[in-house]
Amino acid sequence: MRLSPFWLVLLVLPPLVALATLPPFGQRMVILAGIYGLMGLGYQLVFGQLGALNLAQGALFGLGAYAAALAAPILGPFALPAAILAAAIPAALVAAPLLRLQSHYFALATLALASLVNLVAVHAEGLTGGANGLAGFATSLPRGPVLLVTVWVCLIAGVLLYAWLFAGTTGKKAHLLREAPLLAAALGIDGAAWRFVAFVVGGALAGLAGACSAALSGVVSPEATGLSIMVLCLTLVVLGGSRHPLGAVVGAALAVGLPELLRDLQGAWLLAYAVATLAVVLWAPEGLAGLIDRLRGARRSPLILPTLPTSVPPVPGAQRLTIDGVSKSFGGVQALDDVSLLVDRGEVVGLIGPNGSGKTTLLNVINGFEHVDEGTVALDDRRIERLPAHTVARLGIGRSFQALALAGDTKAADLARAVATGAAFLLLDEPAAGVGDHERRALPAFLANLRDAGRGVLIVDHDIELLSRACDRLVCLDRGRVIASGSPAEVRADPRVRASFLGLDGIAA
Amino acid sequence: MAYALVALGFVLALNAASAVNFAHGDLVVLGGAVASFVGLSIGLPAMLLLPMVAIAIGVVGIVAARIAILPLASRPPEATFVATIALAAIIEQSLTIAMAGAPRTAPALLGGGSIYIAGFVLGRQPLAIVVLGAVLVAAVWFLLERTQTGRRMRAVAADRYMARAVGIPVGRYVMLSLALSGALAGVAGFLLGHQFLVAPTQGAGHMLKAYIAVALGGWGSVPGALLGALGIGLFETFVAAGFGDVWASAALYICVLAVLALRPQGLFGEPVGRRA
Repeated sequence: MRLSPFWLVLLVLPPLVALATLPPFGQRMVILAGIYGLMGLGYQLVFGQLGALNLAQGALFGLGAYAAALAAPILGPFALPAAILAAAIPAALVAAPLLRLQSHYFALATLALASLVNLVAVHAEGLTGGANGLAGFATSLPRGPVLLVTVWVCLIAGVLLYAWLFAGTTGKKAHLLREAPLLAAALGIDGAAWRFVAFVVGGALAGLAGACSAALSGVVSPEATGLSIMVLCLTLVVLGGSRHPLGAVVGAALAVGLPELLRDLQGAWLLAYAVATLAVVLWAPEGLAGLIDRLRGARRSPLILPTLPTSVPPVPGAQRLTIDGVSKSFGGVQALDDVSLLVDRGEVVGLIGPNGSGKTTLLNVINGFEHVDEGTVALDDRRIERLPAHTVARLGIGRSFQALALAGDTKAADLARAVATGAAFLLLDEPAAGVGDHERRALPAFLANLRDAGRGVLIVDHDIELLSRACDRLVCLDRGRVIASGSPAEVRADPRVRASFLGLDGIAA
Repeated sequence: MAYALVALGFVLALNAASAVNFAHGDLVVLGGAVASFVGLSIGLPAMLLLPMVAIAIGVVGIVAARIAILPLASRPPEATFVATIALAAIIEQSLTIAMAGAPRTAPALLGGGSIYIAGFVLGRQPLAIVVLGAVLVAAVWFLLERTQTGRRMRAVAADRYMARAVGIPVGRYVMLSLALSGALAGVAGFLLGHQFLVAPTQGAGHMLKAYIAVALGGWGSVPGALLGALGIGLFETFVAAGFGDVWASAALYICVLAVLALRPQGLFGEPVGRRA
């Protein structure tokens, strides 16, 4: 979403007010809110946009703080970039193995990593000063207005960049990666690269925030790497709104303001904060910033559901898709057994066969969701059977899905997306399953459009009448093997096809 | 053995909620805290105190299920993660306020002192922990494997939708699992609370150990979690004896990271179904 003037004013107001009117103590609070905002903004990239529960953000914050404390006497103000690197480089080093993990293992691994950092901070006394921490170091930036301006300029720039980035296609891609990773890969989005960038940039922001906090307090203790900072970061982002551009800022303002409001209750502010977070998770998953938007009456643009594309432009790219001798087994089940077939441009090939005969597996092997045990898949002369799905998509193979992965999605939208990638070849998995009669009747014309535009189509469906009318050739699979291929009439007349698939076994042909 | 009870409760909650309960460690601490408060103020004999603590924390488990797990069943697991982290913070902060920061000790189960068996000196408390732990693990095993209630609990854990489709009231069984999980946490907290002091900040450590035990033992596997917990206990004891506590913790974390780096699907793996 674009940043409305309402939020823009709220974002710029705190530092201006603080500079103009507040005493040093008030300025200090605004600086602290800015620091938490930076850390939270970085966290939004990983947790909010990609939905990964990273529990190492607090440790990266601590790394930044220690780096700033150690480097400030030598580097002066340049300790800030050094601290950013001190957080971003370790993040980049551990990112590759970490980001492969499924949600609960990812959370555990980041938690173990953070515990390790905390352990080093407490016990490596020569470097970190042990449990007492470091104090009395020359600060990288003078406290007061200079630090305030630095923190808030970075934060405002970050929020604006974030809002601008995620308002457009980037936001949609992140949404796909979060909600439907397979679909994202089929559309050519490199999820691994995305997660890497989000994790490292998020870590860099945590490092910057840590460095600024070291400059603000003049003390760095192991608490900076501890779980409480991590929980604070997580709760402030959830409370404010994990994806809203202002989410981290709203959460940070509360995290700093609440203790002041509830000062009489002493420790109770953390309790109130945790209760509020739980309430937000339960009743306002979009966070307070999103809630405010809802109360202000800001509306999301209405969803326009696409229909089947009526005009299909021709596209450049490979001329022939070749599948040669492909085998694939899962455990003891031979899903594909020496399958070979060709699809040319301007050709619609129907893939038929009983349930479990390997039709969807064949599509998965072609577009890179699964990798072959034996055999080759090639676009012209280029072998693609070992490439990841997003690379295959970029080379010109589009894909639609049997089951819809996104809330509010339709089959027509799924087909339109596949066509819109500009892929030379399209793999359509049961496009007629579960749609109304109207759409089913529109399908042959859609396939004819694809043929006329010179796209190559491999289509799986159970509606053999529909495929016979719409396809140039049919291929029949049974238990992973091609048992017949040729014109629709030939394949339908084949006795083995009749026996295995059409259920006409024993009836005189 | 107390680790094993923590991990056992953790894995029961994990299976029932299909998400990590980050508040589990704090339930353990809460068990220790309740035991120490009631034990000191009323002076109940430990044998009566124990079931009381188990019931009290079991009720807390039900409350946790009602507010942080059941309402989020249809949302991604991360929502439950965050809700239980918030719950953990709530328990920790409440305890901090209630205990005013001073760590406490829970009463001993069989009284102090040692007994002699076949020439070996055994502390009464460690012995009590081992015996009670074994009894509880056996009881949970019997419940899960040999009773209709246990079969239903496992059905809910394996596939919530299928369980609902065959007529099992899923919500009730999730609450039952959480109650059992909480009761085990309470007992574990009681037992640990006598050997070590009870402090509100220990929750995260208990939770992390259980989490590691479950990840190493095979995600969602009950015997795996027990083996994992015993393995961690032995590993820590031996490394700590040789190199000190700090190295024991560090080595444990490094081992976990190494295992996850080499085997992203966990040590014993779960089949990760990838279907289009």
